[in-house]
Order: sequence, then structure tokens, then C-alpha cells
Amino acid sequence: MKTFLRVLVALPAILFVVMGLRWITDPAGAATALGMTLMEGVGRSSQIGDVGAFFLSMGLMILIGLVTARRTWFYAPALILILTALFRLLSWLFHDAALALDMIVVEVVVASILFVAASRLSQEA
Amino acid sequence: MIRLGGGHLVALLLVILCVWQSPLAQAARPNIVLVLADDLGFSDIEPYGSEIKTPTISTLAANGVRFTNYHTAASCAPTRGMLMTGVDSHRNGVPNIPETIPPEQSEHPNYKGTLGHNVVTVATLLQDSGYHTYMAGKWHLGKTRDLLPFRRGFERTVTMADTGADNWEQKPYIPIYKKANWFADGEPFNLPEDFYSSRFLIDKTIEFISSNAGDGEPFFAYIPFQAVHIPVQAPQEFTDKYMGVYDGGWDVLRQQRQARAEQLGIIPANTGMVSMSTTNDWNAYTPEEQRYHAKRMAVYAGMVDAMDFHFGRLIDYLKRSGQYDNTVFIFTSDNGSEASGVDYPRALPVRFGLWLQGYNDDYDTLGLKGSFNAIGPSFASAAASPLAFYKFYAGEGGMRVPLIIAGESIPARSQPSNAFTYVTDIAPTILELAGVNPPSGRYGGRPVERITGRSLLALTRGEVDRVYSATDVIGYELGGNAALFQGDYKIVLNIHPVGDDEWHLYNIVTDPGETEDLKERMPERFARMLAHYHDYAKDNGVLPIPASYNQAFQGVANGVLNRFGPQILLGLLSLAVLLPFYIAYRTRRH
Repeated sequence: MKTFLRVLVALPAILFVVMGLRWITDPAGAATALGMTLMEGVGRSSQIGDVGAFFLSMGLMILIGLVTARRTWFYAPALILILTALFRLLSWLFHDAALALDMIVVEVVVASILFVAASRLSQEA
Repeated sequence: MIRLGGGHLVALLLVILCVWQSPLAQAARPNIVLVLADDLGFSDIEPYGSEIKTPTISTLAANGVRFTNYHTAASCAPTRGMLMTGVDSHRNGVPNIPETIPPEQSEHPNYKGTLGHNVVTVATLLQDSGYHTYMAGKWHLGKTRDLLPFRRGFERTVTMADTGADNWEQKPYIPIYKKANWFADGEPFNLPEDFYSSRFLIDKTIEFISSNAGDGEPFFAYIPFQAVHIPVQAPQEFTDKYMGVYDGGWDVLRQQRQARAEQLGIIPANTGMVSMSTTNDWNAYTPEEQRYHAKRMAVYAGMVDAMDFHFGRLIDYLKRSGQYDNTVFIFTSDNGSEASGVDYPRALPVRFGLWLQGYNDDYDTLGLKGSFNAIGPSFASAAASPLAFYKFYAGEGGMRVPLIIAGESIPARSQPSNAFTYVTDIAPTILELAGVNPPSGRYGGRPVERITGRSLLALTRGEVDRVYSATDVIGYELGGNAALFQGDYKIVLNIHPVGDDEWHLYNIVTDPGETEDLKERMPERFARMLAHYHDYAKDNGVLPIPASYNQAFQGVANGVLNRFGPQILLGLLSLAVLLPFYIAYRTRRH
């Protein structure tokens, strides 16, 4: 069971790492994958810096959690994902954004898996 | 009323005299149509000995001048760069096609494979002198906004920026491209549903010319056809004309064309021919395989025929609209015949590779939409008959191509000119036709390279026998293949895999087939010409190629890196990040 859970947690971690690094190697492609166009000037800097760091940090935190078996490393990305889903809903309600239901579902599901992993995979007392 | 004093009258008379004597006033400036076939071999058109019916080009040849000793670079972009500027390829930024420049060279500013801003195109010069300038066809001198023909002197353009593309639809022909990059007037462009390259390019040219016809200004139209670059594709009715014509195979075809070229005076009587090491034994193929190969060539002939047919539509239009009599036509090819294409195209791996690209090479539909066809090295050698080598190589088969200059103002010559001529001569010829001075070191407020070619107009008028004297030297290098021309002689180096990596000396006037190496018999001439080549290489910044350089492999490597470079880098980076975590995880578990 624990092995299955580790694999379930590792998969989004790898995905997040790849998505984060893609903002460095192929920013236009990375932007398109998230429904964005690559901006110019400071906008591009923010896109590559903020979004790239967002994904890479989440991936790295989950991987550190898997290696160290400390629950804190799972809570942080879970919190980020939950807030991301929440902000997506707010953007739909108040700022005319599209309702990205598929992305919200993924974020909530992965966050839930991370909460489970925090309790089951932790070796902390 | 304005009163003129004596001084004013003298000045006015001087101005009138100057204007009256200028070339512009002596004759109406002609329209100029420059037609460039792609990968058309030396004997691929009727006036040069071909069995392929090219009545439009034949009529031009009969009414103008055929050049039998005209040379280009042995691959497309370097030729196109020199054609547009009259400047040596090592000085204009296009010493090789960008797709095959090795990384060791590509750092050099003159080795970018795109037309530099240190040269000015003939189109810019004509446009600035009042010409309308149009282009419809393949460019391949840069695909960024500032490098497209719309920014290089052409007023109206529809252009394909890659090495080649499909002739039936907007589709890349090789996987190094994500898409076929077409542009119209500098902006990305989608081809129409009923696209066939030769028809479309002539339709657009007629549309461009019509849009300004009658405003009194002459035009320059540049039409670089896709024909007959791979994929070799033609409408069925054109292919049908040549079914059965090539059943005798490539050796028979090469001999037939040699004989006809001799009869036409294109080559001297009893010209020798070598048999290329890449030419296979026709009789070693099964009848079914022979039938397939014969159709490959029939499609090729159909593609040449179709190009001629559509070129004829342009001439008909010019006659109908009263513009023909004041138009000069220049027809040529960018390099010799293309030897791409495997010996056994029906082999499973070949068909699978084509399938991955959305192509097939089925016999029944060969040359039609969705079909990928190429004639292969054996028929390519026949297309260059009687010359040795073909595209990419510095042998005459790679560099010597047809050139015809014709028009009502060009005196018809029944006997062709066998004077040595070079691709850099076309730009100054066009400028002299238009009465435009070539740039003298600066243009548009910036320094530019001077034109190195020479106008051929005196040759066309029969005023001179040659434009290069017996002591003039013309150097050439492309991807390690090299040559130097002086008088009737040529030294040539063809590198692996088809060449022997050694220099040879030939008299290309008496021996255009390059069969008799004169290096041992004329050691002083050979040494002198070799020294001239080294001077040329030094003066023009020719860079050495890496020892292991292979143009085909370099093309694949560059293509993979350009197309998939970000993905490869992403994979490597991801691996570098993830691997330490995996190792740490495994270590902790044990």
C-alpha cells in the first residue's frame, strides 16, 4: 500500500519538476500548455520566474518529502495546490476567468493525495 | 513669365543633354523576369538535350542565348544568395545552407546561412530606381521578419522560406520542420486548398504584375519554382506523358542526352563521360523494380513539363497584356540534379519512415498528393548528363546548369555561348538591363559588399566572346567541396562520401565530363591554380570543415537539434534534477 502511495505521489512530483524546468527550456510551449501566451518584457520575466518556480518548488518539495519522510514537505505543496484551486474559483466568480474545472479537479485530487501521504508516509512520531 | 538668362539656358541645355544621353532615356526600361528552377539538371530541358518537352523554354532559347558553361553553387541557398546580390557566398552570409552548417562554423558572422545586411539585393536596387519588384516562390535566405524578401527589396511576395516543401499542400517534406513556412508580404500565410506549386506561383506572379500594369513603371519578377526539388510531384496528366519513356533505365537515358546535347552544340563532339560510383546496375533490378524506377523519373519529367507549361501561361499573359515585347527573361537553375532517394524505395523501413511523415510512395499514386517521390542518384546522374557528380558536389554535374537569356531586345543566337559564366554575373546583368548602377561600397548609408560578378549583356549581343579573361580566377567552396576556375580550366575537390577528397585539374571546355585529369600533365598550372584557390579562401574567409563532416549527417543533427532541442534539453535537465532524489531515496531505504 505504501509503495503504491509513493508512486502516486512521485508521479505529480515528476510532472511538476518537468513543467517547472520547461519554463526555462521552452517558455512558449510551457505557456501554451497552461492556456497562456508568452508575454514580453517584465510580463515574460514574471511568467518564467513565478510560474516556473511555482511548479519546480512543488515538485522538489514532494520529492524531498518522499526521501526524508517528513510530513511538512507534503503539507506545503498541498496547501499551494488548494489555494491555487481556490483562486481559480475566485477568478471565475469575480474576474470573468474561464472555469478551469479539469485543472481544479486535478489540483484538489493531488492535494488530497499529499495530505494522505503526509499522514501515512511520515516516519515522524 | 519666367525669363531665362544666358547662364540659365546653358544649364538647362546641359540638363536636357544629360537626361537625353542617360540609358533610361535611350530606351524604355525593360521588365525583367528571372525564373529559377530548383535542382534542375544540366540536360533536363529540351534546348540542352532533354527528352522532356519544354516548349516555352525552347522558344525562349531559340529567341535568345543559351549559355553552356554557366556555373552556380552546388546547393540552393548559396546560389540564391549570390544570385540576389552578385556577391560571393562567403561574403554575403550564405556559404552553405543553414541546415547543414556545422557548429564549428556557425559561430562566424559570415556562416549564419542567412543573407547578411552587409549586402544589398538586386531587388532593392531595382525598387529604389522605380521598378515594381515581385517574388513568388522559394526564398531560403532567412525566415525571420527582417530577412524575408518583403524586407529585402520585394514589393509583393509570396514565399516559402525553407529548403523545400510539399507541392500539393502546406506540409513539411522532412521532419526537421514543424510546418512548411510560407509567407505573404512578410506575414505567415496559409496556402489555398487547390494548391499546386508551379500553378500557384505563376498565378500569384500574374496577380502581382496585373495589380500595377499600366502605371508606366517596369517590373522585376523573381519566380523561384519549387520544381523539381524533392518531393518530386506532378499532376497526373503531366506524368502520363512520360510513362514508358524511361523503361530503358538511367544508363540509356544518360547516353541519349549526351548524344542530343552534342547535336545541339551544347557540348563538344565526343565528350567523355564518367560513370558515377553511385549509379547502380539497371539490369540487377527485377522488372517490377525497373517499372517503379521508371515511373519515379516519369513523375520528375512531368514536374519539369508542368513548370514549363505554367511558365508559358505567364508569357501568354504578358503577350495578351502587351508587356511581352519589353520583357527580358532569364531562366536558370540553382544547382545540378538532386540525388536524394534510396535505391529500394519500397523497403519496409522506408515506407514506415514516410508513413510517420504522412507520406506514401505507392506506385499507383506516385507524385500525387500525399506521395513522396525522389529519383535517386542513378537517374540524377542521367539528369546531369554528360557531367560528373550532382547536387552538393563541385563536379560539373553539381555546378553547371542551363542559363538562357532571351527577349525581344536580346539578339537571337543559333549557336550557344560557351564562355565561362557564374551565378554572380546575373545581378550585374539585370542591373545593366535596368540602367541601374551597382553599389560602390556603400548603400543606404551603410557599407555594403561590392558586386564581384560581371554583366553578360555584351556576351548576349555578341560584342565579346567572354567576360572573364584567361587570367581571371573565380573561386568556390561549399561544405568542403571546392573549385577554382581560370580560363578553360578548373581545379576541383570533391569530398567524401562520393568524392575522393583529392584535387583534380580539368579542361572543362574540351572535357566538360571531367574524364581526363590533367594534374600530372600540367603540374605548373595545377600548382598555380591551387595557390590561387588558397588566396581565394583566405581573402573570402572560407572556414575549414571539421574532419568528420558529412553534409547529410550534419543536416540530420542540426535538424534534430533545431526541432527537438528544447525537448532534449528539458529531458536532460529533468534527469539531472530527479536522479539525485532517486539515489537518495534508494540509499535511505537500504
